[in-house]
Amino acid sequence: MKLALIGNQNSGKTSLFNALTGSNQKVGNWPGVTIDRVEGSIKKYHSTIVDLPGIYSLSPYTAEEEVSRQFILNEDLDLLINIVDATSLERSLYLTTQLLELNVDVVIAFNMYDLVEKKGIKIDIKKLSNELGATIIPISAKTGKGLDELKETIFKKKYLKNKHKKIYPSDIEKFIDDTIKFYNHPWKHKFHKRFEAIKVFEEDRDYKILLGDKLKAEHLLIEKKYAMDGEQLIASLRYDYIEKVRDKCVTYPPVKETKSDKLDKIFLHKIWAIPIFIVIMGLVYFLSISIVGGLTNNLISALFNGSESVKFTIGSFSWNAPIKLEGLGPLIARSLGNIGASKWAMSLVQTGVISGLAIVVSFVPQLICLFLCLAILETTGYMSRIAFFLDRIFHKLGLSGKSLIPFIVGAGCTVPGIMSTRTVEDENEKRVTIALVPFIPCNAKLTIISLISAAFFKQIGFLVALSFYFLAIVIIILSALFIKKVLKRKEHTTFISELPEYKSPNPIYIGRDVWDKTIAFFKRAATVVVFFSVIVWTLSSFTPSFQYIDGSKFTIEQSQLKYLGDGISWFFYFILGCRLDWAASVSALQGLIAKEQVISSMEVIARTSGAASIFAPGSPFAYFNPITAFAFASFNLFSIPCVGSLSAMRHELKSAKKMFIVIACELLFAWLLASLIGIWGVFIK
Amino acid sequence: MKKNKKVLLTKGQEGHLSDLRRGQKAVVLDFHNDNAALRRRLLDMGITKGVVIEIKKIAPLGDPIDISLRGYELCIRKIDMEGIDIKVI
Ligand SMILES: Nc1nc2c(ncn2[C@@H]2O[C@H](COP(=O)(O)OP(=O)(O)OP(=O)(O)O)[C@@H](O)[C@H]2O)c(=O)[nH]1
Ligand SMILES: [Mg+2]
Repeated sequence: MKLALIGNQNSGKTSLFNALTGSNQKVGNWPGVTIDRVEGSIKKYHSTIVDLPGIYSLSPYTAEEEVSRQFILNEDLDLLINIVDATSLERSLYLTTQLLELNVDVVIAFNMYDLVEKKGIKIDIKKLSNELGATIIPISAKTGKGLDELKETIFKKKYLKNKHKKIYPSDIEKFIDDTIKFYNHPWKHKFHKRFEAIKVFEEDRDYKILLGDKLKAEHLLIEKKYAMDGEQLIASLRYDYIEKVRDKCVTYPPVKETKSDKLDKIFLHKIWAIPIFIVIMGLVYFLSISIVGGLTNNLISALFNGSESVKFTIGSFSWNAPIKLEGLGPLIARSLGNIGASKWAMSLVQTGVISGLAIVVSFVPQLICLFLCLAILETTGYMSRIAFFLDRIFHKLGLSGKSLIPFIVGAGCTVPGIMSTRTVEDENEKRVTIALVPFIPCNAKLTIISLISAAFFKQIGFLVALSFYFLAIVIIILSALFIKKVLKRKEHTTFISELPEYKSPNPIYIGRDVWDKTIAFFKRAATVVVFFSVIVWTLSSFTPSFQYIDGSKFTIEQSQLKYLGDGISWFFYFILGCRLDWAASVSALQGLIAKEQVISSMEVIARTSGAASIFAPGSPFAYFNPITAFAFASFNLFSIPCVGSLSAMRHELKSAKKMFIVIACELLFAWLLASLIGIWGVFIK
Repeated sequence: MKKNKKVLLTKGQEGHLSDLRRGQKAVVLDFHNDNAALRRRLLDMGITKGVVIEIKKIAPLGDPIDISLRGYELCIRKIDMEGIDIKVI
């Protein structure tokens, strides 16, 4: 069997999909989480099931909604599962009335039934099912209630066949029948005649085909009679029908202030909303960087590299614990030495592999904390509020409030950030958003930020870390204004979005989400980062004639890497405070592969040259001062994003040329900004 | 941004949806809108003739506005509400 899940945005399609197939697709409490179709299988019943982006009607507006419509109109499906958010029945059944016009059977799943019961809404399922002419199963994708009955109904084929109930007044139904009968134009979708005849009646732009004189006259007469055009009339009649059915089958408790209303009094408060937002985001980063990062960073580093003592910091307090650790790297190297391994082999393992990996892994706990906080913001529904109250500002910048979501998702990783721009309706706004999302520091860039702020700004490290985000926001605002000026766009775009209720987050989903992201980070560290760190180690440990550099006869200044770096160091001359530095240059270049590779490369180079850490004496980076560090970090944060993001960008912009224009601008901009900071550093010295 | 005079509508009066204040309720009379896509969207979201709309929440910066209708809540920009004629109830 082939099934498709179709329903309004945020109605729980993906939650049900995950529950039925055991997969782990992203669920979130804002409209437009799923942006492409996803197939899964229910092995027990040899069935395929497809999760689709949410839609409100079969007339789509955005690219991701078009995916859903095309799929259900053109695919040969055995059954549609219509997921309905049973707490907002009226709006949801509007789509249901359209689905029932298609030539396919529909089973309706009334989701969020736990909330329906909690709110005291009483629905006579049997009666409603009779009225609509389709089987209804109450379920809760969250608690799993009703899922067995749903499966049983679907796979034992216990559902009602689609009866194509006539829900419009008789004159309109006659027009529909006549259209089907007399209409001699090839049908667009060979199966869905009733659906298409209604589209003809609505004079939908995709179905504007010449009607015969008789039908035309009929159409005119009806429009006159109801004093509405076809489009308005059908929408009104659908809603009229739904209201009628609702009155028969549903009783609502008296309205009272909901939990969401109470919470919104705080989170959408006229004066406090924006300060609260700033405090929340500040707390997220304070917690991640200053607390979790401060407590774990040195410890992990010591576990891998060994140390005489371990430093723990919380904000501006720090404590040096006299814990002596040998460390994994030194331990392996010692064992290798005991079995007679040569010096270079020991260095390859200890420096190339372990140190290069360790510096990246040492940031994992704070990233977990960041992922956790972002997941909570996403699932509670707060994110939709942010989009709601920042829409005004975004509007001024020529963007829509919906552009905010890509930015917040992008704070985790640029790739899904760029992909979520699909929910932005206007093509221009979407492109501008894609171009600007990479400016938001992603989790990999957070490693650079944390490294710099902990090494150079100790007490105020947290504030410096935040200043990078602040700088990112300023850059985004200025760029958006600049683009708006250049494009000189006048026409206004719309922002119409559902405001979901606050929901308590589902710990299982949050756990899975955080787990997935963490594993993805680890995987990248264990593959890409280790691979390139070993290359960096090799190139920095041998001279061009492949003599091993052991620090006595040759130094790292004679390494192959130096000669390579010399070729590009002119580019970073101003950024690094009027200095030609091959080591920083080659490290920055590797940011193209993955941004965390920048610090990994620096660590390997520093240790290969005999220094204890990146900025310690003896390291090629020992000359860095706070301003060079800030300039160097700025360049890495705001220039070309990593290859993964580039391919996402190309895909969403649907043009390699546009992508190259965007990254050329970003590169130029980042270079100018970082160079100015670097030169400024030279002057104030 | 044009600043139009603040019209205060009272019960029984007609005007545009964008003129309403927080907490006011109104019934939709008609649309006049030249943006076909927007019109379609509004219809699909349930803003049809005769539906009752309540102004629930206003964003801290004054725009957009959260309205409640047909048992759910919808955010919409003021400028898009101007094309909807209503009567206060
Ligand atoms: N209380 C409750 N919450 C639910 C239930 N099903 C889903 N949710 C929540 O509803 C929100 C939306 O769920 P999703 O599965 O992402 O919805 P979707 O239909 O896939 O949304 P889009 O992909 O954006 O169209 C999430 O916060 C879920 O946790 C349910 O049965 N009960
Ligand atoms: Mg989904």
